[in-house]
Amino acid sequence: MTALFAPFSSLRRRPGRTLLTALGTALGIATIVALLAVADGAEHAAGQFYDLGASDLGLFQRAAADPTTSVLSMQLIPQLRRTPGIVDATPLLLLVGDVPRDPGAIVFGADPHGFLTQRLVFFSGHMLSSPSQIVVGDQMARQLHLSVGDTVSVHGHRLTVVGIYHIGIAYQDAGAFVDLPLAQSIAGMQGETTTIAVKLALDERPAAARRLIARRFPGLTVIADGQEASRAGANAQLVANAALVIAVLALLIGGIGVINTMLMSVVERRTEFALLSAVGWSRPQVAARVLVEGVVTTVIGAAIGIPVGVLGASWLVSELGAQEFVAPRTTAWGLGRGLLVGVLIGVLGGLYPAWRAARVSPAQVLAQG
Amino acid sequence: MPGARVIAEHVTRAYGASVVLDDVSFTIEPGELVALTGASGSGKTTLLQLIGSLDRPTSGSIVVGDTVVERLAHPARFRRETVGFVFQLHHLLPTLTVSQNVQLPLVAAGMRRRERARRARELLGEVGLADRERAMPGDLSGGERQRVAIARALAGEPRLILADEPTGALDSVASRRVWELLAAARERHGATVLVASHDATLVQRADRGLRLVDGRLVEGAMPPGEAGAIPGQDAAAAPGARPERGAASAAGARPEQGAASGAGTASGGAAL
Repeated sequence: MTALFAPFSSLRRRPGRTLLTALGTALGIATIVALLAVADGAEHAAGQFYDLGASDLGLFQRAAADPTTSVLSMQLIPQLRRTPGIVDATPLLLLVGDVPRDPGAIVFGADPHGFLTQRLVFFSGHMLSSPSQIVVGDQMARQLHLSVGDTVSVHGHRLTVVGIYHIGIAYQDAGAFVDLPLAQSIAGMQGETTTIAVKLALDERPAAARRLIARRFPGLTVIADGQEASRAGANAQLVANAALVIAVLALLIGGIGVINTMLMSVVERRTEFALLSAVGWSRPQVAARVLVEGVVTTVIGAAIGIPVGVLGASWLVSELGAQEFVAPRTTAWGLGRGLLVGVLIGVLGGLYPAWRAARVSPAQVLAQG
Repeated sequence: MPGARVIAEHVTRAYGASVVLDDVSFTIEPGELVALTGASGSGKTTLLQLIGSLDRPTSGSIVVGDTVVERLAHPARFRRETVGFVFQLHHLLPTLTVSQNVQLPLVAAGMRRRERARRARELLGEVGLADRERAMPGDLSGGERQRVAIARALAGEPRLILADEPTGALDSVASRRVWELLAAARERHGATVLVASHDATLVQRADRGLRLVDGRLVEGAMPPGEAGAIPGQDAAAAPGARPERGAASAAGARPEQGAASGAGTASGGAAL
């Protein structure tokens, strides 16, 4: 009960200190929210790298570092099509760094008539019909100021833009599709592809199909969606680990910020805690009061820090020019997690300051006036 | 509840090589109002802190009522239930109302809100501030703040009130009022009151005096076993006294004389 004695009056009547403490906490929480959003976005983006659009399953070479280094024989495709439960299979070959004007863009070599390219929605032009043509994603078109009829150089090949599409997958919207044989020629992978997209029969369960493919075609990694990206390659695992490291760093940086802010507040109020001790408040009572105030301040800080973090993450990604590949993800769970983590940090971060407050020597402080 | 007897036996407090209190012994009887005087740095505040369990002696023993203070396992509880502090700088919390400040010891004691508020109202009435219970400390004069601090000290119905220079920052009128309140607290609540003060005129109103010089008690010592002795006994005969340095007057029995001699000894700053 002592901890709940007039905590709001203490905070309300020192608006400056309360605001500064809350801002310090907000900064910590904003850092957490922003870094977690970016980390989530990076992981999600890595997952999208493996998302083969309309496919039910994506096939990659086992132990490949990432999809671009996967090598699969085209001879697998007819065998896959004959496998029970599989309706269709189509190759997809990934090229990286072959567009001089946009080195980060990925060019996908695909069968123009395969089920995968059927999902591209064109709002300008149409699907390619010859090896000298290219269709580009709307993000790439925007970035390179391309429109239908323009030309784009891909690994020294001048290709005519015949269509601009949107598919909703970041890497594909920021990239382009070319004819598969051209891509194979550029990559030096005649008769090969990097990945194969598989479409299952409507009544086929992906888990059963995955088991069947794994049994029939050893050496393949089967991915059902982007969330499983980390299984597909070392680089994806690297991204997942990096995201985890960023999250831990965010907690540390934010947590230290909160602890530092609350500690400063305790140092500033030593006389108050000394007085409470002198009039009979026990150490646990003083500590509990500091903790309650800390949690209240942290909640205020979270209310400020969460929106600042969300906006800050977008700003950071935009300033770094990475918005094509990393879109900060701010889901309800992400925000709730920010609030939860913030309050948790308020409590944990308040423990040491509370301990310090409880150990303030009334004799020393009050004697100093 | 009757006031507590305070017995100090050979109390010494040192910080490293610096001895702040040196072998101090005295007894204060229940319900006595005793003035503790001495120059700045003579050890008055340290002595009050030791008696109030804010600090522990390096050696020696202090007994308040039945409690051996230096052996307390829960000093906060002792302070809450037995001691009321009044500080020179009042130390009211600026973010709390006058009433909330008075309630602080009662909050620690777990008293219900309504009861706390009623008790605070009563005490503020006693110190003449019934109409200021919702005011903030910043809105009060220095004298009023000290009266609030006295009300806070009385809140837990303490058996011992320790006041450290309670009038040090006040004008003469406010000082007199504060002293009257401390005397009234003794009369009304039966508490033992020990007041550290430089103020010679106010100290004259105490039952008797203790005087510290350089950490040694030079006047008013009344060792255990002599409880009930006449206040203001000859300090020269008391253990720990230094007749050659301090005034050996019968402080308390004839306060006017004590004050005069004390003032002369300590350049007017340590008068009894």
